[in-house]
Amino acid sequence: MKQRRLSPEPITKVNVTPIIDVSLVLVIILLVTAPMMSVADLPVNLPSARTREAEDQRNISVTLGSDGGMAVDQQRVTAELLAPTLAKRLAEPGNKGVLVIVRADTNAPYSSVRKILSDARIAGATRVAIATRQRTEAPR
Amino acid sequence: MSRGNKYAQRSGGGIFEPNMTPLIDVSLVLVVILMVATPLAFQSSIAVRNAAAGAKKAAALARTDRIEISIHADGTVGVNRMVVPREALAVTMKPLVAQSATGMVVVRCDDGVSHGQFVGVLDEVKSLGAVQIAVVGS
Repeated sequence: MKQRRLSPEPITKVNVTPIIDVSLVLVIILLVTAPMMSVADLPVNLPSARTREAEDQRNISVTLGSDGGMAVDQQRVTAELLAPTLAKRLAEPGNKGVLVIVRADTNAPYSSVRKILSDARIAGATRVAIATRQRTEAPR
Repeated sequence: MSRGNKYAQRSGGGIFEPNMTPLIDVSLVLVVILMVATPLAFQSSIAVRNAAAGAKKAAALARTDRIEISIHADGTVGVNRMVVPREALAVTMKPLVAQSATGMVVVRCDDGVSHGQFVGVLDEVKSLGAVQIAVVGS
């Protein structure tokens, strides 16, 4: 019977497990941050709401910042160019019937939100949602 | 000389540097947990029927099947042409939503109202059990 050696040969291979481990965590971080990167860098204070609806699907975001600036996804647009830009984005392959999310500042007047909603309708958006910030306290 | 080398295992020496990989790994996992747990960074949304067909369909429903809400700039809210203060919206709406067969709510809003107030009403209507909300241009 072959006896097991107490002092085996040293491990000469590179240990790849920690590299894979850290890389997978970085992949998870990228996956989590990817939806946050697709919105414009405009200051927006979203109105808070208790109700929540699923939003993990693909969407096109229209942002109305607190300074009045507008953007479709990351692209800054003027109020006049909103409808054509949105129509162009909706006409892209795979974007048919995609959810359009209106991210408007809580202090923005409703007239400008109505303009965005009407532009979205003109551009051919079939599904529209209004973005809110999830309120964390218990419901009344 | 070789004892001070990083790869000194062969010459019988141990690894004297602390292994940073588990530390980095656990820190990154904590970052992910914090990112997921922070609700402020993640937005939610309220779906509205805005498309021409949807809004027309909502408006075409019989008066008994839909609830009409108009948000006024003076802080009052009209529920089926009955004007109530904003605070009384939930009390007024609750029996109407319970009676409604479709759960369809049609919302009109004055221009002077802020987006925050508008969303506040939508949120309240939704939490009372409205199935669909249609926004109609006033």
